[in-house]
Amino acid sequence: MAEPYMRVENIVKKFGPFIALNGVNLEVYPGEVHALLGDNGAGKSTLIKTLAGVHAPTSGQIYIEGQPANFRSPRDASNAGIGTVYQDLALNQLMSVTRNFFMGREITNAFGSMKMDEMDKIAHEEMLKIGIDFSDPTQAVGTMSGGQRQTLAIARAIHFGARVLILDEPTSALGQKQQMEVLKTIKRVRARGDIGIIFITHNEIHSKLVADRFTFLALGQVIGEGTKAELEGQDIRRLMAGGADIGQLEKEFAEL
Amino acid sequence: MSDRSESDRLQRESWLQSTIRRPEIGAFIVMIVIIVALLFASNGKAFNALGLKNNIKIISQFGIIALGAAMLMIAGEFDLSIGSMIGFAGMAMAMMLKWGLPFGLGAATPFTAFAVTLVMTLALGWFIGWVVVKSGLSSFIVTLAFLFFLRGVTEVSYRLINQSTQISGLPDFKEESWFANIIGGEVFGWFYNAWFALGKWVEGMGIDRTEQWFLLGGNLNRRGEQWVEGFDARFFWFILIAVVAWFVLSKTRMGNWIYATGDNKEAARANGVPVNSVKIGLFMFTAFCATMFAACQVFDTNTSDAAKGNLMELFAIAIAVVGGTLMTGGFGSMLGVVFGAITVGLVSNAVFFIPEIDGAWFRVFLGAILLAAVFANERIRKRITGGI
Ligand SMILES: Nc1ncnc2c1ncn2[C@@H]1O[C@H](COP(=O)(O)OP(=O)(O)OP(=O)(O)O)[C@@H](O)[C@H]1O
Ligand SMILES: [Mg+2]
Repeated sequence: MAEPYMRVENIVKKFGPFIALNGVNLEVYPGEVHALLGDNGAGKSTLIKTLAGVHAPTSGQIYIEGQPANFRSPRDASNAGIGTVYQDLALNQLMSVTRNFFMGREITNAFGSMKMDEMDKIAHEEMLKIGIDFSDPTQAVGTMSGGQRQTLAIARAIHFGARVLILDEPTSALGQKQQMEVLKTIKRVRARGDIGIIFITHNEIHSKLVADRFTFLALGQVIGEGTKAELEGQDIRRLMAGGADIGQLEKEFAEL
Repeated sequence: MSDRSESDRLQRESWLQSTIRRPEIGAFIVMIVIIVALLFASNGKAFNALGLKNNIKIISQFGIIALGAAMLMIAGEFDLSIGSMIGFAGMAMAMMLKWGLPFGLGAATPFTAFAVTLVMTLALGWFIGWVVVKSGLSSFIVTLAFLFFLRGVTEVSYRLINQSTQISGLPDFKEESWFANIIGGEVFGWFYNAWFALGKWVEGMGIDRTEQWFLLGGNLNRRGEQWVEGFDARFFWFILIAVVAWFVLSKTRMGNWIYATGDNKEAARANGVPVNSVKIGLFMFTAFCATMFAACQVFDTNTSDAAKGNLMELFAIAIAVVGGTLMTGGFGSMLGVVFGAITVGLVSNAVFFIPEIDGAWFRVFLGAILLAAVFANERIRKRITGGI
């Protein structure tokens, strides 16, 4: 088995007296999609914020390529190859595709002026690689569809060196067709082989469509994990609901 | 599955179509209307040699501060202290020129007076920005505090040191100081020389000077010699600041950061944009613009008083909005601001060329176009953000 690019060991995160994560383990391999599943409040967002350097873990250790890593800021995490695409995407609506793509990391010449043509070209190419042919890089992001924005944010993270791509519910606010576009994008990124993806979703079908490996969180703890093959036959839906029995729910419904 | 791709959905626009969709177009049209109207209403006097000089003077004054205010607004903040900063800078310079440098450093030259003042105003701009950024308070309220504070400091300093709230009768520093001359003197003399020569040549062709309202009108002294020697130097500074501001905003990394900061601060920060430094830097830029405004005034007239720059912060913001800058930040253009400054400058000066009208109409007009511009800008914002 290949080395995981990132390994998370026994991560504990407390917010005051509240234990948001209680000893979570996670492994992310290059070229794999790792679905992170769990009910609302299970701690998924807290976990990825810890990985992205937003929160410092209370205890536990993150390893990048086997080496212990401590992130003091989102900058540190991004330099270590962790690219996070948040639910709000961190895009600026009024600015063009290219200006968003290079926000904070513009390409400039010796006089500090931006090489707009080169930047347009790179933005276009990077987005084409993962699926959309965006003809006008001067279009404002505000007029793009949700799926296109998602693609832009993903392409940006990849271009700037992400080895682990964290997607927090990338399909949740989208229509059917655009959800499929995003899943296709995930598949394309996976096909590159060098990037590991953490995919957070509440959608069982989506996770089955693209994921190679699953981790189920409930109340801050891992209640199940494994590869697609290992989990075959297990009730993914039961695990996703935090272990609650769907049969039980049906009985309750019948009583109403 | 059709083989239509995303790029097929975008129609190529003609040059004309893309021009009328530009955000500056509203400001441009209003400007043209005003120029034409003023041309007729003043019988051309507004644009003869003297009229043009006077109009350019006020346009440049408005323009210098509006460019600074607009840059800051694009980054999502306001500066209401611009007017008081003008008063403060003018006081500081005039006072040093009259009473010498502080801490007994001896007499001031125009350059040292300017330099010491600039150090003070930039430090103040930095401090205002720092307070806004660190406190997280609205810049409206923080700079409102500095509006009062700086005006008060200006007046108190005048009374304590100078015993009077105005300074007049300073020597004309332009005569011997090159520095005073490039700030308060005249520029582009060749333009007026050529204009005058052309008028003389046409006169030589047999057209009497009294018929030449445009070529020689307003440009002859009693002896029939050339009267207007050039534009005020502030015209040069206005052009320079406008070109630099335009370049920085639209072509450089810093410009991208300014837009990003004003649009969505958190998104910008998540991508590594130093939003706090951007804001502080722009508060220093408005302070710089206010200082240039004051310096041009002091070295031009060799006077200063405690009321200088009064209300200028509001004109600067109004012009920025008329020029297409969004109140909410993240969007705006320096070219639009230049158009706005020309429009507002011409109208504020119109009473001198059309004495029949009441000067207060200027404010009626400004209020009206300001309101119209706010609506127009909001439409542009909706178009760009897809209607939210
Ligand atoms: N900064 C914080 N301070 C205190 N409690 C927090 C904080 N952030 C999250 N929590 C708590 O931690 C728990 C896990 O939250 P988290 O956002 O990680 O859930 P999630 O699995 O992402 O849920 P969802 O599916 O709804 O996005 C929640 O009970 C939440 O209230
Ligand atoms: Mg969440």
